[in-house]
Amino acid sequence: MIHTLTNLSVSAITIMAPLLLAATGGLFTELSGMLNIALEGLMLVGAFASIAGVFLTDSLLLGLLIGVASSMLLSIILASVTLYLKANVFITGLAANLFASGITVILSFHLFGNRGVITFDTLKELPDLFTRFAQQMPLIAGYHVLTYLSVVLLFAAWVLLYRTPFGMRLRGVGFHEQALASLGLSPHRYRFAACVLSGLYAGLGGAALSLHLGSFVPNITAGRGWIALVAVFLGQRRPIGILLASFIFAFAEAFSNYAQGAWSVPSEFLLAIPYAISLFAIIFYSVFETRKKRVEYRKG
Amino acid sequence: MRKIERFSVLEYFLRSLFGILAIVLLSVLMLIAAIFLLSNQPLTSIASFFAGPFSSLYAIGNMIDHAVPLAIGAVGIALAMRSGNMNIGGEGQVYAGALVTTIVALALPGWGLTGILIALTSSMLVSGSVAGLSGWLRERWNVSDLITTFLLSNIIILVVDYMVAYPFVDPQTNLISTRFVDPSYHLPILLPPSQLNTALLIALLCVISAHLFLYRSRTGFELRMVGDNEEFARYAGVDHRLYRILPMTLSGALYGLGGALAILGTYHATIKGFSAGMGWNALLVALIARFKPAAIIPAALFFAYIDAGARSAMFYSDVTYEIAYIVQAVIFFLISSRILQRIALGRRRV
Repeated sequence: MIHTLTNLSVSAITIMAPLLLAATGGLFTELSGMLNIALEGLMLVGAFASIAGVFLTDSLLLGLLIGVASSMLLSIILASVTLYLKANVFITGLAANLFASGITVILSFHLFGNRGVITFDTLKELPDLFTRFAQQMPLIAGYHVLTYLSVVLLFAAWVLLYRTPFGMRLRGVGFHEQALASLGLSPHRYRFAACVLSGLYAGLGGAALSLHLGSFVPNITAGRGWIALVAVFLGQRRPIGILLASFIFAFAEAFSNYAQGAWSVPSEFLLAIPYAISLFAIIFYSVFETRKKRVEYRKG
Repeated sequence: MRKIERFSVLEYFLRSLFGILAIVLLSVLMLIAAIFLLSNQPLTSIASFFAGPFSSLYAIGNMIDHAVPLAIGAVGIALAMRSGNMNIGGEGQVYAGALVTTIVALALPGWGLTGILIALTSSMLVSGSVAGLSGWLRERWNVSDLITTFLLSNIIILVVDYMVAYPFVDPQTNLISTRFVDPSYHLPILLPPSQLNTALLIALLCVISAHLFLYRSRTGFELRMVGDNEEFARYAGVDHRLYRILPMTLSGALYGLGGALAILGTYHATIKGFSAGMGWNALLVALIARFKPAAIIPAALFFAYIDAGARSAMFYSDVTYEIAYIVQAVIFFLISSRILQRIALGRRRV
């Protein structure tokens, strides 16, 4: 039992990395008052461009940089159209997702002559860290480098958002836009920054997905960007909450993977587990919140 | 201060039309540029993209047939969006509607028109209650409908996948598919040899009734009022809670109807994953039409044209189908921009 739980947690932590990175990216936009449904597309572009980058430059680091840069480029387009051409962020987000699923397949066709799976035998693997301690401390040692980076970057996001003037102002835009404008600051500029940061994080998340797998499949993200958005809501827009929410989803997915091998339950039902858990979690959370508000209302 | 400018209805119509045409033209130019960049035989690609969908009556009929479920779903989305609700679970609702119709048709063989009516009603009930549930959750506990419709849709897709692959699978085909419904359930074809069928008339009926409902009925007026300004509607004594649940249920029901008609008119069996993309595309059609029912027909036709063009270009030349996504994405980036709208309408302020 304990052994199974440990194994599940270990695979959950690996599954969590892309989700956590994308969710942290979503946190920036959410706190700045933008509904960023483009996380899915940003992840997808990051996943594709990093694999293509590794293939073309033969270097993991350069490939990763290319992946992140591409996803940031898309987020810059998204932010420019939304903020400076005054478009509805929901529609531009859908457009970015559509664009991402189109451009990844087109480029994969034209660069590799293949519309399906791109995989290379010679592709470098992400290095695992602290492998010497993986036996004794399986919960904290032996993961690939981007898993550690996801937690470090979550902490960095916390510092940036809660311990710097920039972060205070970014949150201020989401909290009360006019107040920030009345200080002579430009709300657009902070939303733009939030959007580009979400591109950076989501792109890394996509790269963590494809580089860990060592290949790119069309629609490799398969709804993870959306789940990341749910994690932001469920984590009450706080870094620690997002970490917990991401772990819960990742654990559900790890469990669903495990159960597919262990039990003879149709895989469709098991694949639905992460979505069902997200659904119940978001409903319970909202019920809890409305109850709390009603109590506060009566007291006040 | 907001400057009030007066336009005659005709002038407004012409200016909006001009704005949309300018955006379409711009995205077509970008498409041509993309084809020149990507294709080794750009002229063949361009010709098959633009002329392919009109190459024969068969192609034209199929193109219009593809627009039908999109238009019906888009009408539902328009109702939900105009009331300030969000339903992005169309993928699951279309798929569920299709399966329910197939099950009813297989259970009641040879019932003809009565059977068709029962099948369509049950599809609308099932998909409508799924979306209505999201509306109710938002009304009752303020659960984001954006998230619940999306999550529910993903669960439904997997459940329908299971139903198609196991309990209702037809072991005699190589496809993962249900059995075919019997011919008494097939909708009459309007334009043989294409697949265009009487579902088209139902789509037109949906568009017209949605227009009359929104602009000529009290309920429709209240619905728009809640969407435009909920606070104001509440002061005016409108039951704003009703307008969370009703439009969501209607949008789900119409998605279900779209899926059901696709089965009875075009596919005649639920094939695993056959409706993938229909839900999102209907949402995009509704966005092009800016949630106005009357604009949905040209928007759906335009969408189906781009789709058919990309298919034809893929078939006859060396570009991939996904080039359609790029055109569509560019259109959405441009079409929702208020600045560009303002330029098109020639106004100083929006």
